[in-house]
Amino acid sequence: MKIHNTTGGRVFDAANYVFLSLVGIVTLLPFVYVFAGSFATEAEITRRAFFVWPEQFSLGSYEYIFSTPAFTRALITTILVTAVGTVVQLAFTVTMAYPLAKKTLRGRKLILSLVVFAMVFSGGMIPTFLLVKDLGLLNSYWALILPAAINPFSLIIIKNFFQELPAELEESAKMDGATEIGILWRILLPLSKPVLATFALFYAVGIWNDFMSPLLYLSDNSKWTLQMYLRQVTAASDLLGTGNVDPNYIPPEQGIKFAVIVVATLPILIFYPFLQKHFAKGMLIGSVKG
Amino acid sequence: MIRRKLTLAAAVVTVSALSLTACSGGGNEPAADLTSVSIMAPFLEAQPPSADGAVQKKLEELTGKDININWTPNSSYEDKTNITLAGSDIPQIMVIQGKTPGFVKNAEAGAFWDLTDKLDKYPNLKTTFPDIQENASINGKVYGVYRGRAPMRAAVMFRQDWLDKLGLQPPKTTEDLYKVAKAFTEQDPDGNGQNDTWGITIPKWGALGTNSPYDLIEEWYGAGNRWTEKDGKLIPSFETDEFLEANRFVKKMVDEKLINPDFATFDGTKWNEPFFNGKGGIIVDVDSRVSVLVNLFKQADPNNFQNKVGFVGNLEGPDGELHAHPTDGYSGFLAVPKSSVRTEAELDKVLEVLNTLNGKEVATLLNNGIEGVNFTVEDGKAATIKPETSEGKAVSTDIKSYAQLGMNVAGNNFYPVKQASDYEQQVFDKRTEVMAEDLKSAVYNPAAPYVSATYVAKGAQLDNIVADARIKYLAGQIDEQGLKDAIKLWDTSGGNKVKEEINKLWQDNK
Amino acid sequence: MAAPVVEAEASGRAATRPPARERKNAKFSVHFAHYKWLYLLLLPGVLYFAVFRYGPMYGVSIAFKDYVPFLGVNGSRWVGTQHFEDFFSNPDFPRLLGNTLILAFLNLGIAFPLTIVLALLLNEVRLSVLKRTVQTLVYIPHFLSWTIVASLSFLLFALDIGPMFQFLNNVMGTNIDFLSDPAWFRPLIVLQEIWKNTGWGTIIFLAALSTVDQDQYEAAIIDGAGRFRRVWHITLPGIRSTIIVMLILAIGQMLNTGFEQIYLMTNALNRDVADVFDTYVYFVGITQGAYSYSTAVGLFKSLVGLVLIFGTNWLAKRFNQSGLF
Repeated sequence: MKIHNTTGGRVFDAANYVFLSLVGIVTLLPFVYVFAGSFATEAEITRRAFFVWPEQFSLGSYEYIFSTPAFTRALITTILVTAVGTVVQLAFTVTMAYPLAKKTLRGRKLILSLVVFAMVFSGGMIPTFLLVKDLGLLNSYWALILPAAINPFSLIIIKNFFQELPAELEESAKMDGATEIGILWRILLPLSKPVLATFALFYAVGIWNDFMSPLLYLSDNSKWTLQMYLRQVTAASDLLGTGNVDPNYIPPEQGIKFAVIVVATLPILIFYPFLQKHFAKGMLIGSVKG
Repeated sequence: MIRRKLTLAAAVVTVSALSLTACSGGGNEPAADLTSVSIMAPFLEAQPPSADGAVQKKLEELTGKDININWTPNSSYEDKTNITLAGSDIPQIMVIQGKTPGFVKNAEAGAFWDLTDKLDKYPNLKTTFPDIQENASINGKVYGVYRGRAPMRAAVMFRQDWLDKLGLQPPKTTEDLYKVAKAFTEQDPDGNGQNDTWGITIPKWGALGTNSPYDLIEEWYGAGNRWTEKDGKLIPSFETDEFLEANRFVKKMVDEKLINPDFATFDGTKWNEPFFNGKGGIIVDVDSRVSVLVNLFKQADPNNFQNKVGFVGNLEGPDGELHAHPTDGYSGFLAVPKSSVRTEAELDKVLEVLNTLNGKEVATLLNNGIEGVNFTVEDGKAATIKPETSEGKAVSTDIKSYAQLGMNVAGNNFYPVKQASDYEQQVFDKRTEVMAEDLKSAVYNPAAPYVSATYVAKGAQLDNIVADARIKYLAGQIDEQGLKDAIKLWDTSGGNKVKEEINKLWQDNK
Repeated sequence: MAAPVVEAEASGRAATRPPARERKNAKFSVHFAHYKWLYLLLLPGVLYFAVFRYGPMYGVSIAFKDYVPFLGVNGSRWVGTQHFEDFFSNPDFPRLLGNTLILAFLNLGIAFPLTIVLALLLNEVRLSVLKRTVQTLVYIPHFLSWTIVASLSFLLFALDIGPMFQFLNNVMGTNIDFLSDPAWFRPLIVLQEIWKNTGWGTIIFLAALSTVDQDQYEAAIIDGAGRFRRVWHITLPGIRSTIIVMLILAIGQMLNTGFEQIYLMTNALNRDVADVFDTYVYFVGITQGAYSYSTAVGLFKSLVGLVLIFGTNWLAKRFNQSGLF
């Protein structure tokens, strides 16, 4: 598609590009600082308030965190749980969203109201823990996936999206004798790639960043995910000065903190660009019409 | 419409609740014969020790039991404690980090064994510091074996090179502290010709009773340690005249810009920065920070770091006396839950395990590591083996967590650590010496063992009233009358009740 | 685009599916037989909600009890509405409510629209490399914890030495202590929120934008419509239903200002404007062990949230917009 550009349009484009580049830099810089800090010595981090390149390059922080197999193991665990969990959670959500998108389905309103109710109210940490325990899921990776299998918010958005898909598509498939499951699988899902990519990302990030579930449900340290370590180094210093800290405690060095942040954040950051191609503009409607 | 849905929701809730109660009953295992012991403990490092590490193996060998330690991140320990107590899979020993309101409630509901009359039977659990055991109790009831910590740790550290350059002596009194701070601010101690330094750096730690610089200076002025006895009654230290005097003193320093201007907001994790970077020359904190600071200078310049950090202990107040500030001397305790250890006979076995943990052999393992692997003994000190083997390194990293299991109720039952260089050893020895000397003048918190019901319910909120007013007064937002009003507000919002309860407990236990 | 499609869908269905539509009072078994596959698809989700969402719901009863973890939910003593009475009669209640609402409206009124603006600006970029790079960069801050955000803010705004302080001091001659001045607390919080979550929030709008019909643009160009008119008349209406749903959900969550961010930025000098429900719940719940009390506060927040969601959803429907359902 070719869009003719006016002078005003060009000025806008230029201003927009400059502005967005600035936004990009402002959001990137702090992470660069964390990244650079993870390769710096403690003395340098203490001396220089902000930097993007360490003067004295040091691998000490990484040597420390990789001195035991714990981190590598947690990294692999987190990636696997995130991958499996995302697929499972997305499958649960999509299968529930599709029938709810049918306005003629009886019981639909009741179910949706209960979903919204559950979005706002929750039973709390301890009853959920007891449930997971009674289901025999303690110390199992399923405890990180199943209790959060459907996010009501995602369910509603995906349902709304299905609702807006052109009805003719389904009707013609129906004529050809396809069942609803076949329609969902062969027609709707391929059309919904941008939305599925979006919610795959949301679910993946949700599992990746989840800290409470591994804390509560996994008591075996060898099963821990990265967030347990990340939270430990970043949250411990919050407690300083509250009077509830072991006086023998010396908080982890800044460099180690930064290195843990890098290891726990970089893999999920890299994930996004891979999904990005599914956000391509006009894909959905183009394929519908074509 | 909505109401109908809610009714239905409620019905679903009730049904599932019933089914849940049905299945969460039962599950009482028969008494274990103690071939294994489970322990829940916090870890404070970046990562917990591995379950198949050398320290773990040695620990099991020395105790003759399977020791299952459930390491839990320190940052969410309280959450995990409550979850654990709500479930049925409860460890036999739980490290409890302090007398938090949550712990007090659980203990008073009967969650833990009362060990008051039991510990003396076990040679390594019988404390040589009964006062500290009393501090760690709830109104005299001992619910766990306390984890001993050096009670004296308050120190004033300063840039030694600045002091030398200005030809000053280390401070001995609070008045000296003022003089040094003033000189550090006004006499260009770094010699760069600019007026860009200040005296004391204070972070935003403003809560009461956190051993903050404010708490320390107040105690040095004679205000007491949280509570103080006056006319035969206990009163909170902020209701003394000395408290106001001490804060007038700090305010004078704030007004004369001898303290960092952002003391109300300064990030405590960056406390070392102004000191290291030559901005603020004095820190009032625990003495272990001295070694952290020395280490920073060493890292920056391994050849010239010996003359940067000087320190003294507690300072004499204006009355010419030394009121040294100790902590309560413990950091939480190891408690035994009743739901996992059901009989006295079982309790006895668990306490025997704790007794073994406190013996010389195991205490050395938990605190020093494994002799010949990561340390050797030189002149009665544990010296790290250099160069470190990967095995030695793993042991050294692990024991930072295992030390959390140490109780040391009869003093430290292990070797002191030999410092990396002679200079650092001198600093360490001087720290030990200064703190031992100050301990003789320690003024303890007379109310430490007492837990008032009102304080459990709303103490944190109450204390905030005074803590915030203190900072506002120092920042010039309210005057002294405003500070006094806040203290009155503490009284009328529930403080009077707290005083009443504490005094009653104090009288009863005298 | 949304409205016409929905209509088309409805009319299409009316034409081909007379059973369900015309015989409204038909027996459920007929309806069920017709939709059996759909009900089958619904089953796992319904089970999930019954077990994992409604199963633990009895836990809200601790708001009416004096909960002690050791005694359990069922073993703890009932105290009726005691905690609610304490909460509403607390002298701090008006201040907490006021602070929470002000922050909530600032976030809704500033951060929420900015997310859409940023998504639209990104959508207008035709330079693919720039677009992808910026998209990737703006979402990084979402992954940095509030601890990091707070410590960066301390760095930037510190009195005397922070670059922002110095900049404003040099340019405007001001002498503002951003971190302790109560007047600057809310702007800082909103600024942090914008920095951390705006980029992340654009993702959902970018996904919605990708569904806007490209043909309409070409038609508009032929009609001579300029850039802004196209955005106004085609792009925005195209994502209207997404905006409305997101708005309803955001309004339902508005009392959840979050705890960690505010806790980290609070100090003795700005506490009067900083205290909100979430920090208060943390304070009484964790530091004072009052689990029941904090559950009661949470329950109150949830009730308000529920009313807001159903209320705004009803409003949206009245104005003929597609709501949540």
